[in-house]
Amino acid sequence: MNLLSTIALAALAFAPAAPAPQVTFLPSEGSPLVSLRIQFNVGSAHDPAGKEGLAALTAAMIAEGGSEEMSYGRILDAFYPMAAGLYGGARKEVTTFVGDVHRDNLDAYTAIVVGLLTKPRFAPEDFERLRNEAIDELTKTLRGSNDEELGKWTLQTRLYDRTSPYGHVDRGTVAGLRSITLDDVRAFHAANYTRARLHLGVAGGTDRAYVDRLTRALEVLPAGGSAPTLDVKQAAPRDGLKVTIVEKPAEASAISIGAPIAVTRADDDFYALAVANSYLGEHRTFNGKLMQDLRGKRGLNYGDYSYIEDFIQEGGGTFPISNNPRRVQYFSIWIRPVPADKTVFALRAALWEWKRLVDKGMTEAEFEATRSFLLNYSKLWVQTPSRRLGYAMDGVFYGRDDVVTELARRLPKLTVADVNNAVRKHLSFPGFEVAVVAKDARGLEQLLRSGKPTPITYDTEGTPADVLAEDREIAVFPLERVDVRIIPVAEMFEK
Amino acid sequence: MRSVFSVILAGLAIGLAPAARGDAPVFPFRIESTTLPNGLRVLSIPFDSPGIIAYYTVVRTGSRNEVEEGLTGFAHFFEHMMFRGTKRYSAEAYNAALKSLGADSNAFTSDDLTCYHMTVPASALAKAVELEADRFQNLEYDEPAFQKEARAVLGEYNKSASSPYLLLNETMQEKAYTKHTYRHTTIGFLDDVKAMPTRYAYSKVFFDRWYRPENCTVIVAGDVKHAELVELAKKHYGAWKRGSNDVVIPEEPEQTSEREAKLGWPLPTLPIRYLGWHIPASSRNLADHAALGALAQAYFGATSPLYKSLVIEEQKVVTLGADAESKRDPGLFTILVRARSAADLPEIQARIDRTLADAATTPLDAAKLAAVKSHLRYAFAASLESADAVALAASYAIAVSDEPDGMNRLHEAYAALTPADLQRVAAKYFAKTNRTVVTLETTPAQSDKESNK
Repeated sequence: MNLLSTIALAALAFAPAAPAPQVTFLPSEGSPLVSLRIQFNVGSAHDPAGKEGLAALTAAMIAEGGSEEMSYGRILDAFYPMAAGLYGGARKEVTTFVGDVHRDNLDAYTAIVVGLLTKPRFAPEDFERLRNEAIDELTKTLRGSNDEELGKWTLQTRLYDRTSPYGHVDRGTVAGLRSITLDDVRAFHAANYTRARLHLGVAGGTDRAYVDRLTRALEVLPAGGSAPTLDVKQAAPRDGLKVTIVEKPAEASAISIGAPIAVTRADDDFYALAVANSYLGEHRTFNGKLMQDLRGKRGLNYGDYSYIEDFIQEGGGTFPISNNPRRVQYFSIWIRPVPADKTVFALRAALWEWKRLVDKGMTEAEFEATRSFLLNYSKLWVQTPSRRLGYAMDGVFYGRDDVVTELARRLPKLTVADVNNAVRKHLSFPGFEVAVVAKDARGLEQLLRSGKPTPITYDTEGTPADVLAEDREIAVFPLERVDVRIIPVAEMFEK
Repeated sequence: MRSVFSVILAGLAIGLAPAARGDAPVFPFRIESTTLPNGLRVLSIPFDSPGIIAYYTVVRTGSRNEVEEGLTGFAHFFEHMMFRGTKRYSAEAYNAALKSLGADSNAFTSDDLTCYHMTVPASALAKAVELEADRFQNLEYDEPAFQKEARAVLGEYNKSASSPYLLLNETMQEKAYTKHTYRHTTIGFLDDVKAMPTRYAYSKVFFDRWYRPENCTVIVAGDVKHAELVELAKKHYGAWKRGSNDVVIPEEPEQTSEREAKLGWPLPTLPIRYLGWHIPASSRNLADHAALGALAQAYFGATSPLYKSLVIEEQKVVTLGADAESKRDPGLFTILVRARSAADLPEIQARIDRTLADAATTPLDAAKLAAVKSHLRYAFAASLESADAVALAASYAIAVSDEPDGMNRLHEAYAALTPADLQRVAAKYFAKTNRTVVTLETTPAQSDKESNK
């Protein structure tokens, strides 16, 4: 070591310590692509009261609003020949900017991304465009053209009430978005897009030197302090069925059912519940009891699944989406639209399946088959460097390895008793929050409150005797302590 | 502080990234192909996915092949029935076998293909061949199972029906086509979907007609050895018998006058204008097809002057995009616009018309064309990120061109484009008489309610 470098080192030791950001780097030499996931520890749960949508709008202003040096139009021009982009989204607790680029274009791409994150343009015309887009998303798309998403967001916003930081759609509320100003966005960016809250993720065909360069380039962000305090309380257990009917013209009824659970990936029981959940309703597979019984045997609808974490992927996506970590979670069942006259039967069938799992548990054979499935299947969740990266970053949030590694380590040690105990402990709910998107809300309300049997009538032939016998049980499955609230669709997500 | 990247940024020529590596094929993987005596094509595409394979079976039959009246949607319905079991593996046993492998397994149908896919451990290759060969030759289901599945298909229709895009697509197809089977969407006319439980006998005809080895390709991408795959395929698919049929897909006659449809939506929605023009299939005129694909990008993509003025500056439009459909038979060139206000639609339409007219008379800037070519190449390259994605790309190429690497021909055609090619197709295909215009707006009753609030 020469003298000069000794002096430099000494100087470094006395310099004020710049907080080093969290870095997750997963190199993959053979890959021609490089994936970035640049995450800030701030999300929609940090939206100030009355400004719901600020975190998401700030993310949009960065990803789709240009930098000081380049307008959004010029950014599009620059990204276009690379077929690259930057996609920013706020979830409850984190905001993540995701981009993939061919390594041919890595440095040029990175220069633009750094400009967007550190020196956003925040132009009034971009603000108007993106705020209108967010309001349209709530008032037109969610209310008027996607009943499945409408049902899912209704469940979330009812499960966590308005006083909870989790109680609104990530994109915001109509009133919240209308009250946000460009200055709010500037202030939110300055306070929250800091080195202290930065988690930098890089994966694919690049090296450590690149990661170091990117880290240094982001040092112009303010140092910042620890994350803002967040008072997220788990939602209270429901006593009976709390049903929200969103009334709108709809030939078929979309149904989402949920209840809070005291388990996240940070808890040992999560992994036992993952096996039980896979057995009950692994997303977009034909393995789950819900899918086999409701769709397969009865032809009720297109799909029926269950979840032990917040479920945000569109119906078409298969594997769990990463970068949506949360300190509290909920269990849910998703019943894709069923014909209107079969709404209550379908609700009862889903609850009947849940109750059967809680009461009877899984058999040894069912447990072994499901564990073996999940061990192999979860490896498919991380087929690309970008997905691997997202899961690894989530592991950091929960203080665990990525969920696939945790499953691989923990599942072989589980027993059927562990799983059934976890089910009894965590899934024995006294009631549920239920969201139904339906026409004729009054008729549905009366039927739900009456407790009357709702037998299914098939317009198909040859239903086997064992299915018909189950149908008789399902038709009278008790709907306990039903409370119904009807909301016209035009009022949804308003404030 | 000025970072390394901002120095690079300062020197970046906007609109011209380093040229995509233009010499290598865009689909760079080696495809090994063997055709069995019965006509079944077996392909291996080695890909760096240690321990994982994607196993695809492509049936070159989609909703395009539904020629009989009242039986639209059958290719897709049949996709569902393929999970209903055989003598050897009942539906439950088939599913249990897949579950034990930890498979990600499903299927999908489009106009031109029905595709069955599973991603499984490479060690499960023999089991995958056995399972798939069995169900493609020995499918067996009874009428009650058939009827229940028909209702799951109705459920699939129902899940999409709350979106205006299903209605827009149905209307565009039905208006733009009068004879060709692209007249209906893949899920089929709703009346036909509702009547599906009564079509059990026809389902046997459909299977017998199309599920034949000469109409199918097995693709295994990932950690696979071709010789091993071929041996397994011979053993399990070897006895599959060729079929024959004389089904003729009707040709679409030339459109001679503009067609129009106005649709109402019962809830507040942004107004949507959807335009379609008939264009040739890539198999019949690859050069024109490629030029139309580039034209869609250059004049209606996110870097086009029209997009920048309507979406970013004036903010009259929220969504603008165009597509030159890549189909086996002649498809459509479509433009979709979601506007903020229905009152702006006539002006937006006039500017689209002017853009197309100008595209015919004024050559596209050479740098812009270079950017389009670069974009198309990098976008395709970026899509090939897993064994599954590689097999999927080959499946679509087979559907359209019958060649698993057909995308290489298309991208060669993109690379050869000149500004004059774009002018030529702009002049050739965009006559009003070749156009179908579909407009969707909130029904007046709803608009009134909205404005009264």
